Amino acid sequence: MGKIEWAMWANEQALAAGLILFTGGIVGVAGLFRGWQFAAYAVAAGLFVCLLEYPRSRRAKGTGVERKWQYGLTVCVKAFGPLTRNYYARAFLHAALCIPAGFILATVLGCVCLGIASLIYLSAAIHGEHWEPILPRVEVRRPAPSIKNPPQNPPPRPPAEMRRKNIDDLEGASYDNPMAVIDEK
Amino acid sequence: MCRTLLTFVRGTHTVSSRKTRRLLDRSKTFHVACGVAICIFSVVHVSAHLVNVMNFSSSYSEDFPALNFALPGLTGVLLVVILFLMFTSSSYCVRIYNYEIFWYTHNLFIIFYIILMVHMVGGALKYQTNIEAHPPGCLRANHSRAEEQGEELEKRVQEEMPCKAEAHFQPHCPQTWLWVSGPLCLYCAERLYRYIRSSDPVTIVTVIRHPCDVIELRMLKKNFKARPGQYIVLNCPNVSSFENHPFTLTAVRVQRNSKLFPTCSRHVILKTHEYTYPWYCPTENKETFGIHLRVVGDWTERFTQMLLPDLTRDLDILPVVHQRRYPKLYVDGPFGSPSEEVFNYDVSLCVAGGIGVTPFACILHALLDGWMGFRLKRLYFVWVCRELRSFYWFAELLSTLHQKLWHENKPDYLNLKLYVSQADNLQVGDEKYRLLASRLLVGRPRWKLLFDEIGRTNKRKRVGVFCCGPKGISRTLHRLCNSAHFPGTTFEFNKESFS
Repeated sequence: MGKIEWAMWANEQALAAGLILFTGGIVGVAGLFRGWQFAAYAVAAGLFVCLLEYPRSRRAKGTGVERKWQYGLTVCVKAFGPLTRNYYARAFLHAALCIPAGFILATVLGCVCLGIASLIYLSAAIHGEHWEPILPRVEVRRPAPSIKNPPQNPPPRPPAEMRRKNIDDLEGASYDNPMAVIDEK
Repeated sequence: MCRTLLTFVRGTHTVSSRKTRRLLDRSKTFHVACGVAICIFSVVHVSAHLVNVMNFSSSYSEDFPALNFALPGLTGVLLVVILFLMFTSSSYCVRIYNYEIFWYTHNLFIIFYIILMVHMVGGALKYQTNIEAHPPGCLRANHSRAEEQGEELEKRVQEEMPCKAEAHFQPHCPQTWLWVSGPLCLYCAERLYRYIRSSDPVTIVTVIRHPCDVIELRMLKKNFKARPGQYIVLNCPNVSSFENHPFTLTAVRVQRNSKLFPTCSRHVILKTHEYTYPWYCPTENKETFGIHLRVVGDWTERFTQMLLPDLTRDLDILPVVHQRRYPKLYVDGPFGSPSEEVFNYDVSLCVAGGIGVTPFACILHALLDGWMGFRLKRLYFVWVCRELRSFYWFAELLSTLHQKLWHENKPDYLNLKLYVSQADNLQVGDEKYRLLASRLLVGRPRWKLLFDEIGRTNKRKRVGVFCCGPKGISRTLHRLCNSAHFPGTTFEFNKESFS
């Protein structure tokens, strides 16, 4: 019941996976274990994924929730056009990025997490979702509406319902004045 | 997360003090804190294992084949993957906009716990059982230390002893089940109890449509006892089999001590008071309980369509009297909430935003039944709505209660303040609710002034503040309560958390 937005979840996952990849890469490089070059790659890949995934997409309907300070990155990601808009491209990009990280133990966790995020992005793409930037809406200042209908009757005026009653039947719509309005002339 | 248990603890006033009950309000926060702690310590645990693996693989030794560590534990990887899925889907955005993802991934916790309990069975970590027979650094037969230098070798020759036996290693026995199985069994028992309790479908008695897309639903269920301020969870299989939605009860039958309060009957009222007032005697609606639900999302829309299929949207309040085929409805609950505490303060301030008035409506109903037995001596009720027509949801209730309190010589018991935040369409054609119209103010309430007024008139008292509405109001009120601007009066904020 209800439309699930897979992309939102995939975005959270990919961001977390990027962080895990980054951390694992740092551990691998710091220890200078065998295959530390993969760890160095993981540091760069993790950072790239974090930057790519930080700007949240606008929701299909309703308002989106922005992350703090995401406007700068939104502009950068938007500049890539259809590459970042399309979730198929993102799914394949994440799948490709995660494979080299799977060769050493320190980054294998980041690889698995990014792989799962890539699968969910694929699911989002199959459901037809795409990335929309959240940009601040430009407020259109409309000129203030002028007073179109000044009151036709002098006071005392009956409430609006009685006035609106019968446009055709002017005699019936009029009301009895307590004091006769007579032109003294 | 054992909500029934918490509701029970909240209900037993003899056992728990108000401070304990206020702690129960934070049960969800505690759960989140536990979750975050599990994640942090999992990271530490995994890092430690990784470092361990690196150390062992770099000092791979054929002397002690039992210590060699080649494979990472499959259970460990699975645990981390599940934890990762649960953690990422628990973020605020996913919970608010895609609750199903959050709910279904969170239910993976049962697999998590099962794997956690067998995590140790692989026996990766071992300890040595015969330290006395084979102390660290002892001389082994057929081995020599070729790399030692000068003085160190001489010093150690005196301390070294020959090994009496080969080193024997044994894996640690699993201990997780000691910690985890108790609470897990408790939770499983609670879920089973809730399932059995909610397997009885309820009978829908009345469906009333109110302005501004609100439907009132009156239901009947066997052995249903609830206190004012509690909420229930509805499940309608015709709309969606797996979705459960919480709604606060707006009308319950209050259980009272029969010695103090004789059951309501007309002749008792006539004896004690000279007046009769036009409120229906609750004995007619003895066991029914009611909710007000606002049509906001797809579930409520579909549910409303099933309840009222042929009425157009333009009609006003129209009780549907004739029988119709209502969909089957299951009710889980009732569950406790912080709003139950309104009666336990001398003075209470209830702030409602829009449809958030529902818990307080139930409280007002309970006061209408009889205000005398409670500790509450004064109630400030602030209701902020966007549109004027929203006030019609409970206009009758407010007017009746106010009239009753005036007749019973308690004019200062209920202090009403109604605010409408959008200034258009303010024409009130109805003369019936002049009381409410005279207490209506346009614009947003100024909380500091309100608190000043309450503080001045209730010195040396503890005021309970209850808020059910948008987060902005809740945050402002919480901040005001905790600030010390009001000498002599203490404001206690009771935080209401949803779902």
